[in-house]
Amino acid sequence: MEGPVTGIFDEGSQRFLIGIGRGAAGALLFGLPMLMTMELWQLGFYMQRERLLVLVLVNIPLLIALAHSVGFEKTYTLAQATRDALIAYGLGILMSALILTLFGDLKPSMPMSELTGKIAIQAVAASIGALLGRSQLAGQSSSDEDKEDNRGDGEGAVDDEISGSYGHELFLMSVGALFLNLNVAPTEEVILISYKMTAWHALFTIVASIAIMHAFVYAVSFKGSHELPANTPWWHVLVRFTLPGYVVAMAVSVFVLWLFGRLDDQAFSQMLMSSVVLSFPGAIGAAAARLIL
Amino acid sequence: MPSQSSIERREAHWVEWVTGFASCVLVLFMVGLIFWEAVTDSHQPPALTVVITSRSPVTDGYRVTFDIANSSAATAAAVVVRGEIVDRDEVMETIDVSFDYVPAESKSSGAIVFSRDPADRSLRVRAVSYTEP
Repeated sequence: MEGPVTGIFDEGSQRFLIGIGRGAAGALLFGLPMLMTMELWQLGFYMQRERLLVLVLVNIPLLIALAHSVGFEKTYTLAQATRDALIAYGLGILMSALILTLFGDLKPSMPMSELTGKIAIQAVAASIGALLGRSQLAGQSSSDEDKEDNRGDGEGAVDDEISGSYGHELFLMSVGALFLNLNVAPTEEVILISYKMTAWHALFTIVASIAIMHAFVYAVSFKGSHELPANTPWWHVLVRFTLPGYVVAMAVSVFVLWLFGRLDDQAFSQMLMSSVVLSFPGAIGAAAARLIL
Repeated sequence: MPSQSSIERREAHWVEWVTGFASCVLVLFMVGLIFWEAVTDSHQPPALTVVITSRSPVTDGYRVTFDIANSSAATAAAVVVRGEIVDRDEVMETIDVSFDYVPAESKSSGAIVFSRDPADRSLRVRAVSYTEP
């Protein structure tokens, strides 16, 4: 195998180092928009610690499941998926700490809770990025042997239990929604937009979210073809995939808004409005995840 | 990685239909709620009321905490709340505090720290201005 790092290391550790490099690159690529968002630095010190703990803990099974389904090193066992997930989390924490320090946002004089809070929030998106970086950036350079194996894997998946891969599809949507939501939710704009909108705007936003989500996967379909069998009515996939996907995106939005304290002391109608606003990027993230992952 | 093209082509599992129709019901329910709000919206301006929740001496002053509630369906932005200590029509101390938002049908809370104890003088805390978001 011809790689950027040659000679010094044997093939195994060389592959591992390249994997780490891709992970770090992915963490940067996916993490930078959040690392450069002021509201997230502030959340680092004022976010309720119980909620931060929930976020940090939820990320672990999420990464393991994600590593299991998209992990670039062929992860077959739970142990390997866990290893990859932990490496990605570690990379996410490390890259967040480095970049925040680079931006002068972390200083030795700050209290420990502020330092850990700032890094912990950022590490979630960065670790998802690290994991995706390892699988997505691997694309061209993976050896033929890798591709053979991947293809074999795909054929095997057809025989999987049906509800299992349906769950997998919904899971991918939740990851896509979570990722976009984490980027957008901390900004004040989400709240401001929900205040500017009337109920009529919200109704159209719901319709637009579902329509865009459906169009992304079934009409535009830039990559990964979700082609429909000719004899299936169009609303079958709307009911089976797009609507559950929208509900997943909505649930993730509510979760993220709650995490960031955006639902506190709000009337139910206001909670609904800000969830509808955040579900708009969430739905697009969910649809994109079905195509990309 | 599993081939994604396969999922729509396979015979639908009953779980998929159950999930699908449950989602359909949820989305329609939410649309219904928002629709109901849309048709019942009376377009009233924000209605702000301030209620003092506690008074206590603190270092260098006297703290008065309050809740500000907005009972209308319109959100108020840049809300200024003014706290005054009044002694027989004469204002002895004025402090302004501003809220980014007081959302519709919701409440926010804040605090004012006066330099002196209002004691038996009267205390006035009210919203004096806001903008539309």
